Amino acid sequence: MSESLAIQMLSIQKIYPDGTVALKGVNFDLRRGEIHGLLGENGAGKSTLTKILSGLLRPTEGKIFIRGKLKNFRNPSDALRSGIGMVHQHFALVPTFSALENILLGQEGSSNLSRLQMSKARARVEEMMRAGGFSVPLDARTESLAVGVQQRVEIIKMLYRSVDVLILDEPTAVLTPVEVHDFFKTLRTLRDAGKSIILITHKLKEILDVTDRVTVLRQGQNAGQIATPEATPEILARMMIGHDVLPSIEKKPTQIGSAIMQVSHLRVKDNLGLHSIEDLSFAVHAGEILGIAGVEGNGQTELVEAITGLRPVEHGEISINEKNIAGQNPRQLYQQGLAHVPEDRRRLGMILEFSLSENSILGVHREKRFHGWLGKILWGKVGSHTWDLIKKFSIVASDVKAPAKSLSGGNQQKLVCAREFDKQPSLVVAAQPTRGLDISATQYIRDQLVHLRDEGKAVLLVSADLEEIFQLSDRIAVMYEGKFMGVAKPEELDRERIGLMMGGVSALAAPVGEAAR
Amino acid sequence: MRTKLWGWFKPLVEGLFAALLGFGIGAVLMLLWKYDPVKAYLALFQGAFGDFGSIGKALSCLLSQGIDACKETGVIYGLYELTNTLTNATPLILTGLTFAIGIRAGLFNIGAEGQVYIGAMAAVAASLFSLPPGLHVLVSILFALIAGALWSLPVALLKATRGVHEVISTIMLNWVGRYLAYYLIATALVDPNRAEKSISIAQSARLLPILPGMDLTASLLVSVLFAGIIYWILWQTALGYEIRAVGLNPDASRYGGIRPTRTMIASFVLGGLAAGLAGATQILGRPPTYALYEDLSNVMNLGFDGIAVALIGRNHPLGAIVAAIFMGGLSAGSNQMQIAAQVPLEMVRVVQGAIILTLAIPELLSIFKIFRRKRG
Ligand SMILES: Nc1ncnc2c1ncn2[C@@H]1O[C@H](COP(=O)(O)OP(=O)(O)O)[C@@H](O)[C@H]1O
Ligand SMILES: [Mg+2]
Repeated sequence: MSESLAIQMLSIQKIYPDGTVALKGVNFDLRRGEIHGLLGENGAGKSTLTKILSGLLRPTEGKIFIRGKLKNFRNPSDALRSGIGMVHQHFALVPTFSALENILLGQEGSSNLSRLQMSKARARVEEMMRAGGFSVPLDARTESLAVGVQQRVEIIKMLYRSVDVLILDEPTAVLTPVEVHDFFKTLRTLRDAGKSIILITHKLKEILDVTDRVTVLRQGQNAGQIATPEATPEILARMMIGHDVLPSIEKKPTQIGSAIMQVSHLRVKDNLGLHSIEDLSFAVHAGEILGIAGVEGNGQTELVEAITGLRPVEHGEISINEKNIAGQNPRQLYQQGLAHVPEDRRRLGMILEFSLSENSILGVHREKRFHGWLGKILWGKVGSHTWDLIKKFSIVASDVKAPAKSLSGGNQQKLVCAREFDKQPSLVVAAQPTRGLDISATQYIRDQLVHLRDEGKAVLLVSADLEEIFQLSDRIAVMYEGKFMGVAKPEELDRERIGLMMGGVSALAAPVGEAAR
Repeated sequence: MRTKLWGWFKPLVEGLFAALLGFGIGAVLMLLWKYDPVKAYLALFQGAFGDFGSIGKALSCLLSQGIDACKETGVIYGLYELTNTLTNATPLILTGLTFAIGIRAGLFNIGAEGQVYIGAMAAVAASLFSLPPGLHVLVSILFALIAGALWSLPVALLKATRGVHEVISTIMLNWVGRYLAYYLIATALVDPNRAEKSISIAQSARLLPILPGMDLTASLLVSVLFAGIIYWILWQTALGYEIRAVGLNPDASRYGGIRPTRTMIASFVLGGLAAGLAGATQILGRPPTYALYEDLSNVMNLGFDGIAVALIGRNHPLGAIVAAIFMGGLSAGSNQMQIAAQVPLEMVRVVQGAIILTLAIPELLSIFKIFRRKRG
């Protein structure tokens, strides 16, 4: 094995305990002193690959060579000893500790450092920061620091452990544009000091800006490797998305009606208090499916939550049937014709410990038709209502009193859809409606969505699954960093274009024409 | 169907194993310190329930000959231990409900203790004026219910408006309630003839013993009825549906249009009603005292014991009845353990603790599981 390589990974395969094949024989190599981009869609296997490299996961098959030597990491400390450290998307800092304490935490003997050792350690950290050209307030409580600064603490923590290979999993996802700029400067400084860096991202621009080489993964396989100076956005997008033909569903042309939902100048904050949606306007019409494509984490979740009453609207208007509904709670919205199939059915869409009956009335449990004397819930009536839903949606279930967690994922999702579609909605918001489902459940739910559209309902579909977007949508919007990169009809788009827009390349955005009403 | 039956059956089986384990640990401890566990447990059981022969005789006598005849011959006293245990259980059922309703809504409501004091005082206060019998009992109970609910409101409002954690505010209010009670018993409610207690409950407001010579009163029925009502609310009404939903999954509840604040306030108030009522049963329906002692000794710790009752009873109203009887028996029997088996009080406490802990563990585990999932 070549010794000029910092790392070489050969035919790495990973099968998760639940049977998911995340990596199907991936090769990867990292040179010394380079910034190496790892690019791919959600679920391509980037995190899995790097977790294996950092000792957090063990590969099912494959070999890892560090500076030409075969290694077999059992845990992250093993990897650290070989000079490999990873900064995860979710930091592992103790919020009440100072930055310095967090940096030293976990070092051998760090629990009882003498004052002398402490000041020595501080001097070393300060020296490191000077050399790297970045700094953090060492004595501030970590929770009081901005996310970008916390991230730097994580990086310093790794450097303090003398890693030569630094793995960063989607580090820019939590940063503001200014922070990203500084962050890239830091990365270049570190590289020039001889460190090797693996940068995971799905943003084409970042790859082009800061990396020296790129490896692209697609569905657990290598999709290409290229030196960054030779790469163009188009080449990268094609590698990331692939060329395969898109299957299509038989859809009748429908008469697109008036706008059912109108969003104008919407501004929404994410959980960190940053603006994740800025000045977004669009409409969904009766009899159409508007599909929102995009890599996850670009504001789709926040958009759906704002529309469905689960997240405050900072600014702007959302109207259903010409009534402004911004700021109303979910129950009011359901009364005005909203149905919501949430992204996370197990956390939001249902209560797993509740029975099928109980879940079948979540959100409509206050409706008169289910109540009798003294506000008693008529469980008999609810039960037969549940059976109706079970029959109509061919849900496999033996007893309406069984807990929802006893259903398979597909049947759980069918139950959520059945309940929501039964509300006689005028607007259906479906977020990742078929994620993780088997083929038959997927097909069934997609058919139902098309059926709703044929009935003249407005459907907003948010999905990270491009195949689904192309199959179902009458118009497609691509979301990137809280904005639409473009809106177009499916026949005006190809995979390469979509890939570019998903990667944030706006120069080639689709024509803002008829479709962008 | 199988799942449903198992749903009822599983806690019983688990409880049985936990109890066996607890008694086993207690036995080992007693052996280590050279006491005879067999003798001790027999005494415990005797003290808690009496013996089956005498219970059977007393019951058949009551059915065939009526109360007076059985009292005449003394056969009726075969029920003495059992009624004692049920008397002990009466307020514990209610304070157990307070904690259970809290947990059902995802709240750690440990405010029953203070609400019991306040409820007991309100029940006493109702005897400051006179009313016809029957009505007076109802009014006294109503006073206690309202007082208990009012004492829970600050907790709910502090949490709703300021985000104050209920563990903090309930502990603080328990202390405020305690000293308020000390103060009022010594002033407005003091018995002019006997400064160590409050005025006695008016005859017209008392719940009288069901059987002569024994402490058990109709308050047990009040308590069981209330548990039934809570059960009905939790599983048959939209409010109960919302309480249970919020406790299991606040995110899905919000998605389902449930307003978490409203639900939380409702569960605190229901809990306050239960604890206030517990104070009332202990004062209106517990001969021979019918008053509140200056040191609160006849209402002290009922609220805290209710936590154990709720945990042993799986935070279920019907489970709370069973668990309260178990706890009532445990405390009634512990006297016998000391007297008949000569086990010192400290050892009795250790054994009790071991049993209660092992019984509470299954529910504690499931609570932690739900809480951890909600965080993660
Ligand atoms: N702990 C896990 N158990 C089962 N499947 C997993 C687990 N983690 C990830 N996966 C699956 O493995 C695939 C690759 O995931 P991941 O490596 O996280 O992709 P990426 O980081 O590129 O988005 C996906 O299909 C994902 O659903
Ligand atoms: Mg990832």
